[in-house]
Amino acid sequence: MFWQQLVNGLTLGSTYSLVALGYTLIMGVLNIINMAHGEVFMFGAFVGLFLVNYLKVNIFVAMAGAMVASALLGILLEMLALRPLRRRAVSDLAPLISTIGVSIFLENLALKIFGPQSQAFPAGALSGVQLQLGPIRITLVQIVILGISFGLMFVLRFWLSKTRVGKAIRTTAESIETANLLGINTNKIILLTVALASALGGIAGVLVGLSINAVEPTMGLSMGLKGLAVLILGGMGNITGAMLGGLILGIAEVFTVAYGASSYRDAVAFGIIILILFIRPQGLFGKRQGGRF
Amino acid sequence: MDIILNQYYLQIVIFVLVNAILGVSIYMTLSTGQLSLGNAGFMSIGAYTCAILTVKAGFPVYLAVPIGGAAASFISLIIGYPALRLTGIYLAIATLGFGEVVRVIILNLKITNGALGISGIPTLGTKISKMLSSFGLSRFGGLTAQQTSNLLVLVVLIFILAFLVFFCTRLNRSRVGRAFASIKADESAAEAMGINTTYYKLLAFALGAFIAGMAGGLSAHLTFFIGPKDFAYHRTVEILSFAVLGGSDLIIGPIVGALLLTMLPELLRSASEYRLMIYGALMVIMMAFRPQGLISEETVRFWKRKLGRRIKQ
Repeated sequence: MFWQQLVNGLTLGSTYSLVALGYTLIMGVLNIINMAHGEVFMFGAFVGLFLVNYLKVNIFVAMAGAMVASALLGILLEMLALRPLRRRAVSDLAPLISTIGVSIFLENLALKIFGPQSQAFPAGALSGVQLQLGPIRITLVQIVILGISFGLMFVLRFWLSKTRVGKAIRTTAESIETANLLGINTNKIILLTVALASALGGIAGVLVGLSINAVEPTMGLSMGLKGLAVLILGGMGNITGAMLGGLILGIAEVFTVAYGASSYRDAVAFGIIILILFIRPQGLFGKRQGGRF
Repeated sequence: MDIILNQYYLQIVIFVLVNAILGVSIYMTLSTGQLSLGNAGFMSIGAYTCAILTVKAGFPVYLAVPIGGAAASFISLIIGYPALRLTGIYLAIATLGFGEVVRVIILNLKITNGALGISGIPTLGTKISKMLSSFGLSRFGGLTAQQTSNLLVLVVLIFILAFLVFFCTRLNRSRVGRAFASIKADESAAEAMGINTTYYKLLAFALGAFIAGMAGGLSAHLTFFIGPKDFAYHRTVEILSFAVLGGSDLIIGPIVGALLLTMLPELLRSASEYRLMIYGALMVIMMAFRPQGLISEETVRFWKRKLGRRIKQ
């Protein structure tokens, strides 16, 4: 029972990590919270669903398609809602409000187009094979989710720390002005970061849609909230924090459901936010000042 | 006279007034430069507290509404204290989460009647007309009982709103209001000047929650029914868009925003279908082109100068 729940929690948590990584990347580079990230996640799920249902493509192709489409949505978001605000000095709240606007717009657009009912991936999208490993039973969907999430996280880590572009992103995160002086095209780097973050959100949407077998317009809000909880739990702009924080939240939620209060599952994320703000406001892995990534 | 007393118009004006009170609630928090996304949550605490007190415990409305506000205010202190010790966006995140949790808790509690909500709440209008008829004043001139009670509700709401505006303008000229303004302008500088920033931010947040809770209680007694869906995240976004459109520098800003945005779906039928999409697009556009909102201090100064010159000529 315990080990089974642990595996379920890790699976759920790895999708939270993917979403939280999107928040963290944008937080790190632009120092803002992208409130529309949950809706990007929802958009990715719908693109994946559309590709599988209507174009009858393989589920992995659909995942790639969802990533590309979400990245494009992210670019659009950057250009329309974030870049105009950077041109002039505005208060910290402006990007927050602007992205809230984008999120409410996208959610209601999806409600208009797809309707409020939840839709499911077709049964044959991914075979329902189950593996029995000692006391643990693990489905193919779970293996795919775990594999893709952890694979993407390690690739991202490696890419940020070792490649030239990754270094440019980290420099921009330290200081946009200095990065500009060093000859980095920061506008391009910011665009790239937002696209990358959105792509991670998009594929997380497909993975979550597969695992709970439901895609609906309102899935963005609750997922967005959980991503924000992980962001605070792991420390703002901290990549390791986002990865581990997601896993912690996932496991905490699964155990809450398994041992009692199933209807309060969505309250766990909030409980974590308040607890962390009281005990360790910089997050589990954050430092008190500066030093991102 | 009949046009003015039309049931439908009176209803709209009542909604405008309630929304204007909600606009004041978000203005209060914004006046220290903090963004609270939990106003719908506070509203629902106020509404449920108030409805349960009047329906199940038989409290009079004029007591239940302030108690609802006080309950919301008390809870806001618990949420606000850890979040407001920090700077920036922590309050927005904590209150966003809080709003969702209030919804989940209300859905699960027995006393709030879960997803079914509480119905059969006595409306403010019937309460007032009952009170009047006990004084032997059931009708005024040629008005029907319905019109009289609606008009009286209107008067009560206008009175509350006027009091709030008066309170806020007095507050702005006081020591507390100056502390709010200095925190909004520059928090570190305010702290260096010896202002206890956490205390004043918390005070503004709790005042905002109190007003939102009261508005919740009032709206519960205007609509006959409340359910958890009435106070979802969308409600917060709606309240926020009042302040974004009207501007949050002056108290008149969110009130004008509430007026415009409540009238919009009534004037444009097609707009009501796309209401939330319009709010979303409006927020993006306002932030890009006029982040201070329609009415800022400069706007007022500009018009004062312009009108002043005309008077001189």
